[in-house]
Amino acid sequence: MVDAARHPKITIKAYSEVERVDGYIGNFRAFITQKPRYVIEERCTGCGECVPVCPIEVPNPFEMNIAPRKAIDVPHGQAVPLIYAIDIENCIKCYQCVTACGERDAIDFLQEPRTEEVEVGAIIVATGADHFNPSVIPEYGYGRYPNVITAMELERLANSAGPTVGRLIRPSDGQPPHRLAFIQCVGSRDKRFNEYCSGYCCMASIKNAILLKQEHPEMEITIFYMDIRSPSKGYEEFYNRARQMGIRFIRGRPAQITEDPETGNLFIEVEDQDLGQVLEVEVDMAVLATALIPQPDTQQLATTLTLARSPSGFFMEYHPKLRPIDAPNDGIFFAGTAQGPKDIPASVAQGSAAAARAARVLNAETWEIEPVIARVEPSLCISAQGKKCGLCAAACPYNAIIVEVGRAAQIIPAKCHGCGGCVAECPQNAITQDHFTDAQIVAQMREYLREKPEEKILVLMCHWCSYGGADNAGVSHFQYPPDSRGIRVMCSARMDQDLVLEAFRRGAGMVLVSGCHPQDCHYISGQQVAARRFERLFRTLERLGINPERFRVEWISAAEGEKYARVITEMSQKLASFDKAALRRENEAARKAIMQRLLRWRSLPDMAAVLAEEEEEEKEAVLE
Amino acid sequence: MPNREPLRIGVYVCSCGSNIGGVIDPGAVAEYARTLPDVVLARTSLYLCGDPGQNRIKQDIVEHRLNRVVIAACSVRMHEPTFRACLAEAGLNPFLMEMTNIREQDTWVHAHVPDQALIKAKEMVAAAVAKVRHVAPLAPLRVPVTKRALVIGGGVAGISAALDLGDMGIPTVLVEKELSIGGTMAQLNKTFPTMDCSI
Repeated sequence: MVDAARHPKITIKAYSEVERVDGYIGNFRAFITQKPRYVIEERCTGCGECVPVCPIEVPNPFEMNIAPRKAIDVPHGQAVPLIYAIDIENCIKCYQCVTACGERDAIDFLQEPRTEEVEVGAIIVATGADHFNPSVIPEYGYGRYPNVITAMELERLANSAGPTVGRLIRPSDGQPPHRLAFIQCVGSRDKRFNEYCSGYCCMASIKNAILLKQEHPEMEITIFYMDIRSPSKGYEEFYNRARQMGIRFIRGRPAQITEDPETGNLFIEVEDQDLGQVLEVEVDMAVLATALIPQPDTQQLATTLTLARSPSGFFMEYHPKLRPIDAPNDGIFFAGTAQGPKDIPASVAQGSAAAARAARVLNAETWEIEPVIARVEPSLCISAQGKKCGLCAAACPYNAIIVEVGRAAQIIPAKCHGCGGCVAECPQNAITQDHFTDAQIVAQMREYLREKPEEKILVLMCHWCSYGGADNAGVSHFQYPPDSRGIRVMCSARMDQDLVLEAFRRGAGMVLVSGCHPQDCHYISGQQVAARRFERLFRTLERLGINPERFRVEWISAAEGEKYARVITEMSQKLASFDKAALRRENEAARKAIMQRLLRWRSLPDMAAVLAEEEEEEKEAVLE
Repeated sequence: MPNREPLRIGVYVCSCGSNIGGVIDPGAVAEYARTLPDVVLARTSLYLCGDPGQNRIKQDIVEHRLNRVVIAACSVRMHEPTFRACLAEAGLNPFLMEMTNIREQDTWVHAHVPDQALIKAKEMVAAAVAKVRHVAPLAPLRVPVTKRALVIGGGVAGISAALDLGDMGIPTVLVEKELSIGGTMAQLNKTFPTMDCSI
């Protein structure tokens, strides 16, 4: 902590939050808001003379709310930075602190939040995790029985810098406990709450048990566990040491804790699975090893940085095996428990790994980015013909398009992220996206729907989420019926209504449009543009005589392999229930109207080539 | 297609050990690929991402004057950079390559219906060939890099990252939402495995 504070290259912005981030790899702009401390940082000397005069005591969250702090205070004595802050919600404005501060004149009740813009080339997300609140498990009595505490509360009670100066006492009567229980897997490995293993808690409880046993050899310590997870270097040896020291291990998840209201003692009811016996163990105090859970503001930051979350709620990495440090967005990296539960050595290691990944970018003069961007054909843009349009600019999440009446729309390449939203919005075919042109998409579609099209589900998938979800289904080996055929584009915003109609014109049995959940969209608002566009398509299909049940829109994240497999399975079952002859009739009846609508494609040279080639082939087939 | 040199497409079907080859016959996919328009050669490989596979592609590009390449293998999210680099090393624009994912999105999810998986793989290759016939070379886009890092979160992981970045000479802004840095670790009593103080 102190090393970071005195490092010449590190600027610490404490009591601050990242409100908004714009830009892209190498060129991010972050808006950081510092909350008011009501103490002027540059003037506060950290002397603490303001504290004794303050008459207000409030619970200190740093001490897990088991000890007070003053309304003007620091979280703890070794705080970095050592700058005091006023808890304005609880301050009664008696101004005693102002008097105590005297000539230093560091207190300023008029401070306001300050937002600062910082340009950075890379971002590391190390926002940590929160602790599961065990009061939702009624059978353990946390919150009702004072002597049932959490592991974090024990950390403070056993800490020589903590409220009891390291003397472990029972909250009910202030007496030292002689019989102590640790209960593992509270809120983790429990399908009611979190299926995952939090990983760190076995060693954390064993550590606390050993420390207490060393200090109080007469203390009876029991650890109730399901499995001891000690897979890293030196961990199993540490566990064996605990057993040799006389710490008792009972395999079994306690069914309930009851309290003797007279003594405050606790009775732990458990089935010892090794003995096959139900036991009732009396202890003076019980410590719950609670799960690590995602921070409550994970979603907010995910939206700010357009990141995705795993089913467990932690941030989702680019690839669980090969790129475990990288976010799916270039230039953003993860460190520590924000990405998933882990212990201190792993968090430190991941911090170093993230620094190295970020330095790859930051030590480069320039960085190569995907040249997959949108381009305007000026002769087709109606803005150039003096008409008002601007649909492309309205769909652009990056303000990368300049529209002025009398001039063709202009795309700024460095600002364009290549979502393709403008391409699908342009009513004039004036915009194309490199590498994902209409012609390229239709060429793929044609191959997929060449044979038995009515037996197929054509899937339009976005690169970041639904293609990733399909990959995740693969990695997890979730089996689903083999009748889907996928075409990948960068964003669901690129998916034109006409592409769906074209699939039906070519006889597709069903069509799925899939993209990110709105909060995960890698192009800020691309998904929203697509969602609005496809809401309108159902009615169009009805008008064309195509059963709207043959079209589906689903938002599937890169972590939702299970959902991808389920959606395809459901669609496949639905497709099987349709009469194929009826599908063919529907498609046939709608074909003319769709072709009329798609005439616009003839004006695109590469699309015209695709269609001409097809007509040529069809003629040849007839001749044969 | 006007104004273009004749297309010469090479199709490569990866077996990925038994990940693909254990479900479908890559040879059958390659054989089918040879019947597709403008495909001048189609090969299989045990591991296309390995050196022998990569060298084969590079050699073919030169010897057979390939100007388009289709890779039927795994996810673009995994190996697209590998194969783009392979093309670039052989002097071909990296965007003249199309990958199709016959592993994650075919053999791994249709392992119990190999016949159907084979049909799907063939169609996926046909679609990739159809797309690659219409792709154009793209010039790389380079952007400047601001030499400054933002670390969000001042716990043990964020501090560790910030210190390493700082030691590499990179200016680093460490943002912490609480009043002081240290995160959960600063609250802990002595920590495993060294049993020393956490601060």
